[in-house]
Amino acid sequence: MDASEREQYRAAIHGDRDAFEMIIRTHSRTLFAIAYGILQNREEAEDVVQDSLVKAWKMRWRVRDPEKFPAWLSMIARHRAHDVFRKRRPVPFTDEAIDPNQANTPDTLAMDQQLHSALATLPELHRAALTLRYFEEMDYSTIENTLGLTNGALRGILGRALASLRKQLRPALASTD
Amino acid sequence: MAIVHDEIDNWLAADLHGQLSTDERSALHAHLVDCAECRKTHQETKAMNKILEETLAQQKPDPTFEQRMLTGFRNRVPERTGLLKLLADLMRMRAAQVTAVAAVLLGLVQLGRMITGETGTPPAVRDRYANKQLFEQPSQVAATSEPGRAGALGKADELAAGKPKDLALAPPQSAVETRSKVEQDFKALPATVAPAKTAQTEGAAAETGTETEATSYTAEATSAETPSSELANRKLIRNATVELEIVSFDDAVQKITAFANEERGYVATTNSQKQANGKLRGQVIVKVLPENLDRFLQKIRGLGELKNQTLGTEDVTKTYFDTDARLKNARVMEERLIEMLKTKTGKVSDLLQVEKELGRVREDIEKMQGELKYWDSQVQFATVTISLAEKDMEEPAAFLIKERSQLALYAPDVEKIYNDIKALASQKVQITNAQLNRDYSGRISATMSMLIAPEESEAVIGRVKSFGRVENFQTQTERIAQGGNGMSENARTKRDKVELNITISREEQEQAFQQTSLRIRTSSVDKKAKDLRGVAEKQGGRVRSSTFSRDPDGRELANVWLRVPMKNYPALMQSLDSLGKVENVTVQRQDRTGTQIDEANAPADISIQVYSQGNIVSHQSGPLATLRHTVAQSAGAIMWSLRMIGVAIAFLAPWVIAVFAIVWIARRVIRPRRKS
Repeated sequence: MDASEREQYRAAIHGDRDAFEMIIRTHSRTLFAIAYGILQNREEAEDVVQDSLVKAWKMRWRVRDPEKFPAWLSMIARHRAHDVFRKRRPVPFTDEAIDPNQANTPDTLAMDQQLHSALATLPELHRAALTLRYFEEMDYSTIENTLGLTNGALRGILGRALASLRKQLRPALASTD
Repeated sequence: MAIVHDEIDNWLAADLHGQLSTDERSALHAHLVDCAECRKTHQETKAMNKILEETLAQQKPDPTFEQRMLTGFRNRVPERTGLLKLLADLMRMRAAQVTAVAAVLLGLVQLGRMITGETGTPPAVRDRYANKQLFEQPSQVAATSEPGRAGALGKADELAAGKPKDLALAPPQSAVETRSKVEQDFKALPATVAPAKTAQTEGAAAETGTETEATSYTAEATSAETPSSELANRKLIRNATVELEIVSFDDAVQKITAFANEERGYVATTNSQKQANGKLRGQVIVKVLPENLDRFLQKIRGLGELKNQTLGTEDVTKTYFDTDARLKNARVMEERLIEMLKTKTGKVSDLLQVEKELGRVREDIEKMQGELKYWDSQVQFATVTISLAEKDMEEPAAFLIKERSQLALYAPDVEKIYNDIKALASQKVQITNAQLNRDYSGRISATMSMLIAPEESEAVIGRVKSFGRVENFQTQTERIAQGGNGMSENARTKRDKVELNITISREEQEQAFQQTSLRIRTSSVDKKAKDLRGVAEKQGGRVRSSTFSRDPDGRELANVWLRVPMKNYPALMQSLDSLGKVENVTVQRQDRTGTQIDEANAPADISIQVYSQGNIVSHQSGPLATLRHTVAQSAGAIMWSLRMIGVAIAFLAPWVIAVFAIVWIARRVIRPRRKS
């Protein structure tokens, strides 16, 4: 984290609206990735990001250390997403996956559906890590910072997530190969 | 290699994401070459990665996402404008924060002051007040302390003396009062100031400071003349009291009279009284001229030892002149009233009224004249009150030796001795009090008091002593000084009548000289108790009381109290051994110091307990009793624990119920969540 970035966080914490809007620009995609990772639904994820930003603005005085601001933001998003996930009655993913707008070919449709159900079995943290990686192509240390993980923990998480998905999707993989 | 194989998933994922270092990558590739299984996994993971990239790429937010978020944020959190924003910005500044906190604190302090009602006068102002008072005080003291300047005219002096100091020291904030006084002074003295003023102003434009100084000097010069003329008019009453110790009263009075004549005074009153030891004490009141008072006192002091002296002056100037003025007024009034009577116009009732008024005024005039006369006389002569006392005033005139004796007699026949003593009465032996008491139990005692002429006392007391056994004879001699205290060489000593108090009691009532208690164990208690009686009588003793008892265990117990003369005590103790085994002997002896006791005939009390062993096994012990005890105790213990359990249940029940309720509710909440 360079000095200008830290100054930006500090200003935002002290109520500088422009600085906070700049942070929205740079961080909302990350937040979206986290929320989507947990919820697996774009509309809900966008709502979560929106809510989290408003909440962060209102609660900004709680952050003592400007360096922890990004981690704090993502924590708010994670909690919010988790709340939404918990309130949601179990909705079968199939309903959403059958959405005709997103389906290109029957083949990919089936693959999507399978992938979604496989992702649903993963822990929330793993899903958030996967989306952060595949949406934003962040390097491991940034993801660790964002999710508040210890150094080097992400490699194990992603490895296990991929392995789990691989095992579940093995028949489909075999067919694509 | 083994590490790579075990964690192949992690390694492959990191490799695909480009997060392996070069060393790690070469290690992984080397392993993949070796391990077919891992190669397969590698292929699968690669495919998996591809699928993920493809699928998730679709879900990526569109490019307008950020703008959407921003707009949403702006809509939901409208930007504050105007004063609110300004305030919010201001509060963000550290300086503004500090100021706000300080303001709040100050407000609290003010609120506290308002509540406690403390006045908020700053200390600086208070200091100024104090200074002002300090400046003013000395000037006033200087004016009043001078003997010549006081009373009615003293006020002007005070102003004049005080003024220069006021002008020099008093700051502009000085009180309105002083300022107005000064102003008055300026107005009052224009005539005297005028020449000086003109002289000053001719030379140059003089400063106002020097001008006022000049004014004050002239004021002082005018006032300086007053004291000398005033002193003569002062009305001072001087009084002195002197207390002297002298050798001879008459000599002293003669000398005082001579001194008084020398100082143009006179002795007003003399009185004296003679004490019991022949010494004189008295008082002489002398009137001398006030101006000679001090010299007179000096002379008197030489007469003897000065014990006490006070000198007082009372200033009656003000009241004197007040009365004088009122008298003049009253005289004028009188004249006018007389005038009114002479002209005799008006009604009779009015004339009567005038007459009455005239009478009242005359009464007043007389009273005031009397007062003035009294003061004149008081002022004309100073009064000296001399208290004289001859030396050794406190020496006693005589001593009286008082003897008081007290004795207690014990005899078999109280009444006979009572009568014998009564028969001793004569001119020299007076019985002041004789009392014979017989109480409800038939005990007789007597108390007698007598006064014996000193020369007969020895013989009479000897007779009385011979009537019975004497116990506790006490004599007290007191030397009483008469007409003073302390010692005296020439005082006479006289023996007073001897006072004798006698109490006569029967022998039984006498307290034992020695008390013994012992236990005798024997098999036949009853018989031994009877034997004991015989033994005691043989030794000249008497059984005073005895008890006999038998308890349920067959133990017999007899208590016997004996009294024998001391001389037979050892023989009795010896003979007791023959009755049985003597145990637990305790002897208590009361040595009364300072009393004369006939020890051989003094009574000794012996309390004897004769007892038997009784049954070996008592009703209260044995296996049956033990069993009974055990059962009763265990039943008690069980009942107690039951009660305690009940208490514990009553105490814990609400908590247990509450805990169960919480657990039940928690389960109800958790179950649906798990299902979801």
